[in-house]
Amino acid sequence: MTILIKGALITDPNSPHNGNKKDIFIENGIIRQIGYNLSVKADTTINEKDCHASPGWVDLFANFCDPGKEHKESLETGAAAAAAGGFTEVLVIPNTNPAIHTKAQVEYIVQKAKALAVTIHPIGAVTKNIEGKDLAEMYDMYNSGAKAFGDGTNTIQSSGLLIKALQYVKTVDAVVIQVPDDKTIGSGGLMNEGIVSTRLGLPGKPAIAEEIMIARDIKLARYAASKLHFTGVTTKKSLEYVKRAKEAGINVTCSVTPYHLFFCDEDLQSYDTNLKVNPPLRTKEEMMALRDALKSGVMDCIATHHQPQHWDDKTCEFEYAQYGMIGLETAFAVTNSLNLIPIEKWVEMMAVNSRKIINEPAPVIKEGEKANITLFNPNTEFEFTASHIKSKSKNSPFIGKTLKGKVIGIINKEHLFLNA
Amino acid sequence: MQLSTRHLLGIKDLTSQDIQLILDTATQFKEVLQRPIKKVPSLRDVTIVNLFYENSTRTRISFELAEKRLSADTINFAASASSVSKGETLLDTVNNILSMKVDMVVMRHSASGAPHFLAKHIPAAIVNAGDGINEHPTQGLLDAFSMREKTGKLEGLKVAIIGDIMHSRVAMSNIYLLKKMGAEVMVAGPPTLIPKYIQEAFDIRVEYNLRRALEWCDVANVLRIQLERQNQVLFSSLREYSLAYGINKQILDSLNKEIVIMHPGPINRGVELDSDAADSKQSIILQQVENGVAVRMAVLYLLAGGRGENN
Repeated sequence: MTILIKGALITDPNSPHNGNKKDIFIENGIIRQIGYNLSVKADTTINEKDCHASPGWVDLFANFCDPGKEHKESLETGAAAAAAGGFTEVLVIPNTNPAIHTKAQVEYIVQKAKALAVTIHPIGAVTKNIEGKDLAEMYDMYNSGAKAFGDGTNTIQSSGLLIKALQYVKTVDAVVIQVPDDKTIGSGGLMNEGIVSTRLGLPGKPAIAEEIMIARDIKLARYAASKLHFTGVTTKKSLEYVKRAKEAGINVTCSVTPYHLFFCDEDLQSYDTNLKVNPPLRTKEEMMALRDALKSGVMDCIATHHQPQHWDDKTCEFEYAQYGMIGLETAFAVTNSLNLIPIEKWVEMMAVNSRKIINEPAPVIKEGEKANITLFNPNTEFEFTASHIKSKSKNSPFIGKTLKGKVIGIINKEHLFLNA
Repeated sequence: MQLSTRHLLGIKDLTSQDIQLILDTATQFKEVLQRPIKKVPSLRDVTIVNLFYENSTRTRISFELAEKRLSADTINFAASASSVSKGETLLDTVNNILSMKVDMVVMRHSASGAPHFLAKHIPAAIVNAGDGINEHPTQGLLDAFSMREKTGKLEGLKVAIIGDIMHSRVAMSNIYLLKKMGAEVMVAGPPTLIPKYIQEAFDIRVEYNLRRALEWCDVANVLRIQLERQNQVLFSSLREYSLAYGINKQILDSLNKEIVIMHPGPINRGVELDSDAADSKQSIILQQVENGVAVRMAVLYLLAGGRGENN
């Protein structure tokens, strides 16, 4: 199969063509030629206005609910959502049923995802059944294709256990991914504890539940001299702790979700269950601090925390609603709409930094390399509607919102996916 | 005169004019309730369902009585004896009931925001009869009605709400209402039972010492310790709570003034309130219950607005 991309602004810090608007010719998944006005014939020619080409983006934290909760998402529909959102690679969390906690589950995902346009990397569970008690067979899972480790949304609570896990993954030089959340603080909390939760009569979860976990985990990472990634960081203090730890040479990194940059607790006034997430939406002040931090470069990348939920699980009383929202399809447009960072910075975060965290070299847009490319137009404005959603679930608070920045498609593993 | 809202989801959404209107209308209904024939035809042809997803004695009876006094047709629904125990969702249950042509829904639910959720999805008018730890608006209204009746005013009145503030929808509705009507509000209780941000959220006083709270206030609205709502240990024992925050005749007599004692019920006698205080002449607890019917009649009447025999 041959593909010709006409006039793409190549946005890749590692490419000799970076910053040039050139044609890219791809044959059987390999970039053959890059140049001005290439006169080659191709099976498919892509000629889009304002087309940017960057190395494929990676999401470090998505739930594809497969196996076990396929009524919410499957590997196929999750991959379709990822492709629509410009992601060529996705790390899926082990919060499935059964949990991804042995070689068998890892291989199931790797095998089943082989034929898909998006590369799916399982995050292996740190503990058996993601119960936070006994270590799972991480070495075995790594050899089967697990790219990172963590208990997903079940934050590892025991300090002793996390030290062991951090030490253990050094055997394979992998990273532990942790959502910072001390579950003993504000355990019944449904949203951020603050003035808004008090006025709404909803039990609150204080920011300290997150910050105390970050502070503790940083110490554990230093003790174990291992790699730790925090995802879903939501407060100014959390970011300060991570920044200071990095300056002290501790191997920690962090990511935020697009929705924590876009929404705050004040948006919960109408008890919108799509905004029920964990870690919760914080105050406006914290949200603005996250936006500043994105500009100043404290966080390494954005993670979508794509969490599909069935209609029933969201169309109910706020207290009974399940946590999370889908986010792969809107991650780029939402972040881009905020106009906080130049497009080069987005590419660096999503294509380079995210891969550094999982020890993977970033693909490069140059002749002879495998084509792992995201095509996008950062300037198109559009209304995001339910019909755009490829995910099996529709739990997105962005439906009906006008966003800026459209993904044109992806090229990965000899597949071409183009958004309609 | 009409309310500014279609539903009564919380005092939070009412204007001070709405509150005034409800209290004034309740005064008229209270007069009706003193007559030999206590029934008026105001809500004839209006059908009201009382949906109780949580146990209740006085609120349910009070609403039912108010509905019957207004000549409405009523249906009672208790979650424990219904399809809810078979796993039916709230929305399905309510839609099934509404397809039988119901005009208003009175709902009590253990989840905060449940009536707000319903209001987004169904056409009927909704009266919140208590949602989780959020609001209990008719209780707030009847408390204000009783305070006004007893002291003659709300503006400038010093009201201390004492006890388990964190788990109390009564406290929330009282705070919203009293602030809107110009009263001064204090919450008092153990620090573990007072939300951390309450002072900033409502611009009210916070006190951890019972005696100081009683010395400050004109009215003490004493709350029930909500044992069923506590999922973690917030104080060591009921005995210790009673030692620190229990109100008895002795402490009331030691104050240099006579304050009004209120309680939304049901009382844990000997815990937050001793019998000698609860049954004293300072207490207006039974008047609160009596006023509850008149206030709920006023709410239902005003919300029914253009419905019933008027159209």
